[in-house]
Amino acid sequence: MDLKALGENLGLEEDEFIEIVEIFLDTAYSDVKKLEDAHVSKDVQAASEAAHSLKGSAGNLGFMDIANLAAKLENEARKKIISSIEEAIPLFNTMLGQIKDKI
Amino acid sequence: MGYDDTLSILVVDDNPLNVKLLETTLVKEGYSIYKAYNGPDARKIAADKKPDLILLDIQMPGESGFDVIKTLKNIGATASIPVIFLTGVSEIDAKLEGFELGAVDYITKPFHPLEVSARARLHLKLSIATNSLIRSQAEKLQQISDAQSAMLTTPDKYPDAKFGVHYLSLHEAGGDFYEVLPISDGIYGYFVADFSGHDLSTSYLTSSVKGLLKQNCSPIYQPLESIKMINDVLVEILPTGKYLTASYARLNRKTKQMKIICAGHPPVCYVPAVGEPRILEMDGDVIGIFKNVLFGQQTLTVNPGDRFYMYTDGLIESTDKKIVWSEGAGLMLAACTAAKGISLTDAPLHITRLLKPDTEALEDDIVIMAIEV
Repeated sequence: MDLKALGENLGLEEDEFIEIVEIFLDTAYSDVKKLEDAHVSKDVQAASEAAHSLKGSAGNLGFMDIANLAAKLENEARKKIISSIEEAIPLFNTMLGQIKDKI
Repeated sequence: MGYDDTLSILVVDDNPLNVKLLETTLVKEGYSIYKAYNGPDARKIAADKKPDLILLDIQMPGESGFDVIKTLKNIGATASIPVIFLTGVSEIDAKLEGFELGAVDYITKPFHPLEVSARARLHLKLSIATNSLIRSQAEKLQQISDAQSAMLTTPDKYPDAKFGVHYLSLHEAGGDFYEVLPISDGIYGYFVADFSGHDLSTSYLTSSVKGLLKQNCSPIYQPLESIKMINDVLVEILPTGKYLTASYARLNRKTKQMKIICAGHPPVCYVPAVGEPRILEMDGDVIGIFKNVLFGQQTLTVNPGDRFYMYTDGLIESTDKKIVWSEGAGLMLAACTAAKGISLTDAPLHITRLLKPDTEALEDDIVIMAIEV
């Protein structure tokens, strides 16, 4: 993953992009936490909203692996299926960790 | 910043990342940015700061973007600010609802910041061009020194428009007038209006309004937009205290859609071929006084044979008999219903005679126009 290239793709300087990625990490970790809570409380609506938010933020910045996984969870949650969240959480954390290490 | 002509954009999204991304991009382009993370804040900032453009997220917790735009479009001060919707919802229905509510454009998420910036630039340009068009139309009309004779459009000029009219002017410079406009194949505009006062300037103003109708009632503008543009020009050129009440109807015989705008005018009577006749009651400001106006609007799906009657208050108001709009409209509806079997050409006069049997005692000008789908 090349943060500089992802930033350039959005018309942003590297320092501007890093500032935005920091905000992304905050909201993304908070969305992952919401997903986790929604899974525990079996709240499909909350799961769908958190996945929707994560999909949008990650997609906008070009983190497509995260966006695609979040899209899958959102689609499932709309069909009232939230079982995949459990195995998705560590994947999200790993991917977000990789981004964090780069900045 | 600090320049008076810096253009400002209000960015509204519950996701702080999107707000930051847009802010970073748009600030670089030289715009000043206001930010809101929810509907109520967005409405407050829009009213306080009157930004030149609003980028508005649809899906937000609590008040949605649709709720926000409805409120903005209903407040004079914010009604003319262009709004671009920003959303992850890509369904066609949501898009259409957005346009119907007055959005100028739509951007689907995930968006590319540079695309947003390009569209923002486009819509700011359009908005500036519209405003300068309004100013230049006002200047042009002011240059017309001679009052052109206000020729009345007769039904035989546009047979496809299918209308009948009865016009009676008591004064040389009558305050009432009407116009029928061919807009496009199968689409006609019908305008009935009443100027306040009957002084000599009225006939000059009547021809100005007809000129404005010709310029602004085109397929690219929705009826509401056309009347708003005409209002904005008239605000510039009308003498203080002078104003216009009007009904404007645009009928598309292909899509069977009738759009009616009410500007402080007596309500249109609708007599469907099948079904109950009714009064199309609407609130709406008058034309030519306020820069920020709200007009009434209704859209109806119509059928061949349906009739609409537009008229001026001389037909239903009477100071002698102390009849005002509210009761008058009821009498009008009864008279229009009674004219159901009468030909389109004769119906207006028939209705006038029902309502004003004693033409000697007329107190005001009268226009009544019948339109058939």
